[in-house]
Amino acid sequence: MELTEQPSEAPAAESPGALAPPPGEAVVIRDLWFAYRGAAPVLHGVDFVARRGQITMILGASGSGKTTLLKLIKGFLRPSRGSLTVLGRTWSAGGPDPQITAATSYIPQNLGLLRNMTVLENVLIGALGRMDTIPSLLRSFPRDMVVEASGVLERLGLGGKDHLKVHTLSGGERQRVAIARARLQRATLLLADEFVSQLDPITKTEVMNILRTRSKEAGTTYVQTTHQLDVVEQFADHVVVLREGKQVLDSPAAGLDVMEIARIIKQ
Amino acid sequence: MRGVAPRLTQLGLLAVLVATLSNLGLLNLDLLVRGAGNIAVFVAAMFPPNLAVLERVSWALLETLQIAYVGTALGAVLALPMAFLATGTLFGPRVTAPTRFALAFVRTIPALLWGIVFVVAVGLGPAAGALGIGLYTLGYLGKLFYEIFEGVDPEVLEAVRGVGCNRLQLARFAVLPEAANGVLAQLLFMFEYNVRASSIMGFVGAGGVGYYMLGYIQLLRYDALMTAILVTLVVVLFIDWLSRRIRGLFIQPANVGE
Ligand SMILES: Nc1ncnc2c1ncn2[C@@H]1O[C@H](COP(=O)(O)OP(=O)(O)OP(=O)(O)O)[C@@H](O)[C@H]1O
Ligand SMILES: [Mg+2]
Repeated sequence: MELTEQPSEAPAAESPGALAPPPGEAVVIRDLWFAYRGAAPVLHGVDFVARRGQITMILGASGSGKTTLLKLIKGFLRPSRGSLTVLGRTWSAGGPDPQITAATSYIPQNLGLLRNMTVLENVLIGALGRMDTIPSLLRSFPRDMVVEASGVLERLGLGGKDHLKVHTLSGGERQRVAIARARLQRATLLLADEFVSQLDPITKTEVMNILRTRSKEAGTTYVQTTHQLDVVEQFADHVVVLREGKQVLDSPAAGLDVMEIARIIKQ
Repeated sequence: MRGVAPRLTQLGLLAVLVATLSNLGLLNLDLLVRGAGNIAVFVAAMFPPNLAVLERVSWALLETLQIAYVGTALGAVLALPMAFLATGTLFGPRVTAPTRFALAFVRTIPALLWGIVFVVAVGLGPAAGALGIGLYTLGYLGKLFYEIFEGVDPEVLEAVRGVGCNRLQLARFAVLPEAANGVLAQLLFMFEYNVRASSIMGFVGAGGVGYYMLGYIQLLRYDALMTAILVTLVVVLFIDWLSRRIRGLFIQPANVGE
């Protein structure tokens, strides 16, 4: 077990990986600072690597900066200081590369599904970035995309629900629609905020199993925030803990004791 | 100390009210008594309503409905793209600020005044009325629409923007579907409002039942005026009822949490 307790102001040592990220590193975060406009810093020198094909879980008390960190990785927010390398590209001042944006899927806490659209339409939204503007505005999705979307839904156990409105689905079904949307996006990096937090234990395990299988088979990288230690215990490959915006743990999950994590979060 | 400021504000407001009432002549007892008498005469003259004008007034009211319908449709079609340009979650202040200014300008001028402008431009008749209602509707619905657009759940915007789509696609697949219920509700409300606004367009020669209403007032034919008012009332109530039904058909109750 490896604990990296960091003193408050100390920037982490430069890692050679930051210069030439090996293919195994999906996200490389180096001394990342962030403050919302006109406010005190929310993140203080966060510094870790999320590896390809792994499930990285970010933990921390409410307000510790988990959602902010995910939005930075996605490119919705710009770092105040430090560097962020996502899928091999370090950001220039202009913000994230559109190619990276397209390859990175972001699932917000409440999933961001369109309640009054059908399951199929919600999934096809994932493919918008690959479509020409005019046909997409007319909702004329190419045949092969519709087939692909239906196939993904089928494999996720949502076969036959294509034409239901999303607001009629159960919580677990909606989570799977969000996964299907990310899959149509062909994302290789998936960022999910409090992903399975509102599900019952059985459904939660089902949904997380889908993610784990995919990460092992297709090498998809998951970075997920959570406050649920049981999910961490069962599914995390890598754990990062934030406390008031400071990174207080960065460790492989193997051998990590959840009670120890709980202690670090609360301390 | 804390109680003094509100108390002073209340007294101040009361003083302003009394001063204004007096200024408008509403504290003049003599005038009030005389006014009440006149109203009694006026009301007495309205009954019984003169049904001889029923047919003529009904046709004019149909024209009023057409003005309201076309005006609402015209205004809404223009308001939708303008509202997108005024939405802060889609465009920066360099686009939203001038768009909002244009909408505010159009909205500041009452529909009746726009009616006069178009009577000058296209001549007397319902076309001027429809254009006037349309322009006013643009200003009003434009604002209502962009407020709805800005109220769309930011998470939906993030999720859709995150797939790497462009702004048009974002408007089409995140903003519009999430706002659709609100947009429809405001559209129906606007139509109801426009039926009322169109009924006085005739005052300025811009078509509809208002032409007769004004004429009957000037000719002191209050019984005929009463017929026009009653027919308008019936139609307005019917439209309110109808739009409630339509709302019920299209608009599902707000969806409970995720
Ligand atoms: N848009 C914003 N503007 C200003 N401050 C913000 C904004 N969003 C979040 N914050 C602040 O940043 C800090 C971190 O918020 P963040 O949402 O990242 O926390 P979190 O770890 O995701 O919390 P939770 O577990 O409650 O979701 C909080 O103090 C919050 O008040
Ligand atoms: Mg959060």
